[in-house]
Order: sequence, then structure tokens, then C-alpha cells
Amino acid sequence: MAETGDGYINFFEILGLNEEARPGEVRKVYRRRMKELVGEIARVEITQQRRARYLLEMAQLNAALLVLRENDTRDAYWSERQALIELEQKWRDAIAAKSDGADAFRRQFDGRLQAFLSKYCEEWMLAAGQDKECVEHSNWDAAHTRHASRILRFYRNDLYQKILERLPYAEVTPPSIDWKERARFVRGALDERN
Amino acid sequence: MLGRKRHPATDAKQVDWELAARAFAKAVHDGDIVNLRFLFGPFTPARATSSERFETEKYAYLLPDEEQERSREFQGVLDLVRSRSVWAHIQNELSMTRPPQLPSELVLALGDNALRQGKYTSAAQAYEMLRIRARMQELVLEAADESLDKGELTKAVRGYVTASGLEYDYAAFPEPLPKTPDYQMRALVLHGDYPVRPEDGLPLQETSHFVMTALGYLLMSSEIAARLERRPEDVRLAVLKELVESVDPAWREFVHRYREALELKREFAERIQRAIDARTAAQGASPRSLAGEIDDTLGADPGRMPVALLGREIEDGEWWQYLKELAFLHPAGILFVSRQFVGEKEIIVPLYREGCPVVHALGLLPGTAP
Repeated sequence: MAETGDGYINFFEILGLNEEARPGEVRKVYRRRMKELVGEIARVEITQQRRARYLLEMAQLNAALLVLRENDTRDAYWSERQALIELEQKWRDAIAAKSDGADAFRRQFDGRLQAFLSKYCEEWMLAAGQDKECVEHSNWDAAHTRHASRILRFYRNDLYQKILERLPYAEVTPPSIDWKERARFVRGALDERN
Repeated sequence: MLGRKRHPATDAKQVDWELAARAFAKAVHDGDIVNLRFLFGPFTPARATSSERFETEKYAYLLPDEEQERSREFQGVLDLVRSRSVWAHIQNELSMTRPPQLPSELVLALGDNALRQGKYTSAAQAYEMLRIRARMQELVLEAADESLDKGELTKAVRGYVTASGLEYDYAAFPEPLPKTPDYQMRALVLHGDYPVRPEDGLPLQETSHFVMTALGYLLMSSEIAARLERRPEDVRLAVLKELVESVDPAWREFVHRYREALELKREFAERIQRAIDARTAAQGASPRSLAGEIDDTLGADPGRMPVALLGREIEDGEWWQYLKELAFLHPAGILFVSRQFVGEKEIIVPLYREGCPVVHALGLLPGTAP
């Protein structure tokens, strides 16, 4: 499944559309992609790993439709996303400038990032499972919701970690790691406890 | 009316920096991430703005004892704390009112000490703060694989256990946390379905499948267990034996109780067989004597089997209560039991596959050495 490199969920990218796509186009692509996905699920043997992947893909497509098919929800989503990306940049700039306000930006960014990911990676994806149009095309039911809640929590945290990895260090000073020394330490530590 | 005499709020507190340095060194030496964070916290005795003091008895736990202070390792950590850049950073952070930024040198040393001492959650948290946890885990796994290649079984198992201890649960609520042993939950999942056919029971699985299930359960990670999949079966078996003893130092106690439960089961099975034989015989011959029937009912209650396995009785205990507690006390023990209805009541009973080399290697049967 297509995923944005920057970790902020991009529903346009999930559907393979550009940001100018209109609701009619969103519906058309959603139906085609969901039909392909449902067909694929029917063809293959479902293992636990595949079930998790298919559920996530289905939830992503459903949420993409729910968010992008109406102009107001689409605009609200996109402006929240853009504001978050801008806030990350402001924080980075404040750190580069060694500004006293850097920590305030960090806290503001962290709170808004968590809220954004919870809203679009969990709440909207689960809400899409109640939507008539989504249910009609994906055959989503209560069992899907039951399994999906944990998978979506993992997904949200995956994205959060992906973003966190590239952010400036806040809790600790940037470490200087010599990986050869680390490998020696590990071997020594396993020996020491003999 | 006389007003209460108030101490001036501006009483300047003098932090004893010598004590503070020793407290920081102790947290790092002990691999204690909680104490290190506390020392940087807003109400820490290390802050001049806080009314808390190191000299009070309640903070004695933050300071090293004489024996610890004499150790070479502790002095090494103390030197690191007192090094010019680290000490300057500590003092600067303690003078600020914003959230503190911990010095990475101390966090790394703390993570390493925690790993050496087997305090995996602390090590995982320290490495996660430094964003090196996943790569450290991979290094540990590589070292474990190498040790296994060289036939160093104990070291290899220690490596796999360490790597498993460094796992992180990113879906934990409200924030990601180190994964902690949760054998009680995993045991319930393994025994989630009642074995309708005997071969459905976990202990009766085909040996290679059983070994992989056991490794995945004990290492709490199917990914780590999967690294052992390409190894010959005798190596996997040897790893499993070592692993069982590594996660459960009291395994021998369980072995004795398991044998006792097996004896109860054998005696119960014989009693059932006698009853069946008697009923069959009664169809064509005179009924069994009253004394014989009374004798049959006087045997040990089969409900004693879970009690024997666990080593204590749970009042009105259900099978899953016995299973969860057994998983907590002896994680590997639940691999050799099965759910079984006896009359109306469901209990756990000892069960193993005849000829299974795992059962022999772990000394679960009378006459085999654990």
C-alpha cells in the first residue's frame, strides 16, 4: 500500500490520486480499488499476517473515501495535515536558531501530531466501517471492527515512530554512536554473565 | 492574635553537589532509568528550586552504599558523571524550568549497565530514547546466532533472551513501552480452544511443530523464534531445554510436581478402566460387590491434578486460573498440560506425546534426569 514518506497519512496517495482530485474521481477510484482488493481476498488463503494486511488496506481505502468524498472534510483534513508539517518545520527552525521557544513548539507539535494520527488512523478508519457506502463495497462488519482496532493502533504507532525517528532529539542530547564499539559491547556483555 | 511564624520562602537551598553526583552515578550504575529521570525532574532534591533534600532519610535509596562506592565500576561511572561536559550539562538542565534534556552519555552507560544486569525494560527504554534500540536488538541477535554457530549454547540462549527483553510495544497505551513477560496471557491464547480431538491438544503436536511453538512462546516473539527454524532439530531441542531452564530457575520443582500429577492421572485412568470393566462384566454376571464399588470411589479426586501441578489450591479455581498462575510461576509448564472435562468440571491435566524427545530432555517423566 502506498504510504507517504513523511509519515503523515496521505489519503490521496492511498488512492493513487493527486491533491486536486474531485469527489467523483475519488469515488470511482475507491470502487475500483476496493473491488480489486475484495477479489484478491477471495482468491488467496487467509493467514493471520495476510488478514492484518488486508484489514489495514480495507480500512485505509474506506477512510480515504469517507474523508475525501466531501469537500469540507477533505479541506479540513488537508489543512490540518499541512499545518502539522509547517509546525514541524517551525520547531526545526527554532532549534536551529537555538530559540527559547523551541520546547513550546515541540510540545505543541507532539500534541497535535498524536491527535492527528488518532483521528485519521483510528477514529475515521473505524467510523468508515459504519458508513453505508463503505460497508456496501467492502462488506465491512462487526468482526472486521473487532480485529481492526488493534491493527489500527499498531498502524498509528508505526507512523508516529516513523516521524519521531527523523525529528530532532528532545529528551536526550544527540548521541554519538560507534557501531563497532556497540558490537564489541554486546559480545562482551553476553560473555560477562557466564 | 499572634500570627504563626513563617519561614521565609526565599530560604536559599544549597544543593550538596557531591551527593548529587553520587546519586546520578548510582542511577547509571544500577541501570535505573526511573531514578535517573527522577533526578532531572521538577521536584528532585538535585534542584535548588525544590524543597527536597538528599540528606533526608526518604532519599537514602538514591545514594550508593559504602560497598557500591568502593567498586571500580561505580568509580568509573562517577568519573563519567563528573566529566566536564556531562557535569556542565547536568547543572545547566537543573537550573532550567523547561523539560530536561538528559545527557546521552549517561543514558547510554545506563542502558549498557541495565543490559548487563538483565534489567531489560530499563535498557530498552534507555536505548529507545537514544533511538538505537532496534539496532542494538539486531546486534544482540547476531551475536546469539554466532554463538550458536560455535556451539556456545548458554551464551546463545542468553542472547536470544536478551534480544527478546529489548522488544518494544509500540501499541501500548497511552504511550509505547518496553514489552514485558506476559506468559499468563500467551498461555491462555495457546489453550484458547478446547481440544475436541486428542491430537488438537498442544502437547500432542508433532515434535518439530511443538518445539517451534514452545520457542515462540518462551521467547515471546515469533520473529526471534523464526531465526532458529533453519537449525537442525537437535539444536532447536537443545536451545529449548536451555531456554526453559533460563526463564524458569525453579524448573526442577515443577518437574517433581508434574510427576506427582502424572501419578494421579494414571491412578484415575486405572480407576475408570476398572469401572468400565466392572460394568461390562455385570452385563453377564452377578453385580459387583458394594465393597468393590466403594473402593472405586475412594481414590484420589482428579480435581487434585491442577493442585498438584501448581503446588497450591485455588478456592473454587477454574482451569484458566490454574493455567495463568502456572504460566507465571513456570512458563514452560503450560506446554505440557491440556484442558479436560472431568464430569461437569473442566480442569488442566498433565499431557505429553509418547516418545517426544522434549519431555525426556526436560526430565518430566519418572526415571529421566531433568
